[in-house]
Amino acid sequence: MISLASAALALLVLQVVLVAFAAAVRPNANIYLTIVIISLVTTPVASVSDTILLGQTLSRDGRVFMALINLALGGFLFHFMTLPDRSVTLRILVELLIAPGAVLSAEGLRRRYSLRTMIASRLDQLTAARFMEVSADQRITLTRKGLWFGRFVTTGRKLFGIASAN
Amino acid sequence: MIRLLLPLAGVVAFFLFSLITVRLLRPKQPRRFFLVYAVALLLVTGSVYVRVWPLDSLDASAGLVCCLLLQALMCLTLWNSFYSLLWGFSGGLMHDLYNDVDLRHVDRLIRSYEGDAGLDRILARRLPNLAAGGYIDLQGDTLRLRWKGRIIASGTLVAFKTFSLGMGGGIK
Repeated sequence: MISLASAALALLVLQVVLVAFAAAVRPNANIYLTIVIISLVTTPVASVSDTILLGQTLSRDGRVFMALINLALGGFLFHFMTLPDRSVTLRILVELLIAPGAVLSAEGLRRRYSLRTMIASRLDQLTAARFMEVSADQRITLTRKGLWFGRFVTTGRKLFGIASAN
Repeated sequence: MIRLLLPLAGVVAFFLFSLITVRLLRPKQPRRFFLVYAVALLLVTGSVYVRVWPLDSLDASAGLVCCLLLQALMCLTLWNSFYSLLWGFSGGLMHDLYNDVDLRHVDRLIRSYEGDAGLDRILARRLPNLAAGGYIDLQGDTLRLRWKGRIIASGTLVAFKTFSLGMGGGIK
């Protein structure tokens, strides 16, 4: 078990280092796509390096398990990345951290991280991901993908009884 | 490979327990229930696994680690879908745009998020939660970071730099 835990840790560190390196080389690339690619690329390494990572040879099933462990670790990294990358709450905390004396007024916070900036940025990303189109006169048209996503969120909220959010 | 059905069963149970809890009990903090269910179901999966497939080889141990990690990942995916997609900012925008045709204009959409009493809808929900969680002090109009918030913010800042995330919060 200790050797397995060490192997899993080594695989996770490998993925984290490769993702950080790729993000440094291409900072504007989609970080989630980067994680998926690196997770897939490192999976064959994980499945055939049993003697290096564990000190003994695994059966065919054992190698499949190692491959799935590597993919699962990539999945955790994917989820982890949504926190600093997407979370408005964490961004608020960071704005407070870098403010003089770690203190801000609500107005000061709004100036640094305004509602318009937040919404415009999300709309840009949703447009880039082809969930919607925004015309020159600021009209928003949901694409087929966007309508599907809107329906998915609406159905999910109904299913879980979420009345209002955001 | 049949042992991979165990995490599948685990995540189905997690989904059902979570759904029933949210629908029937309507807890203020569903994540506490989610955490208990996730941990309990991992223990159940681990326990069933070692009874059916004793840990007498490295392959069996790798199978156990694999099952537990996959189950934890799938539970986290459901959890994240609940909070990030259904409750999150982008999911909320898409919900509003899908259900209200009048909001399909950038200025009108932004106006719909502006609050009446100074705080917009985004901050009005998050700031009291941060204060209640002990991350910030919220006194009148002043926000002050507490040590718990400072730790989280510092870790986030490290992640920004390590993964070249810009300033996060959905903004590159």
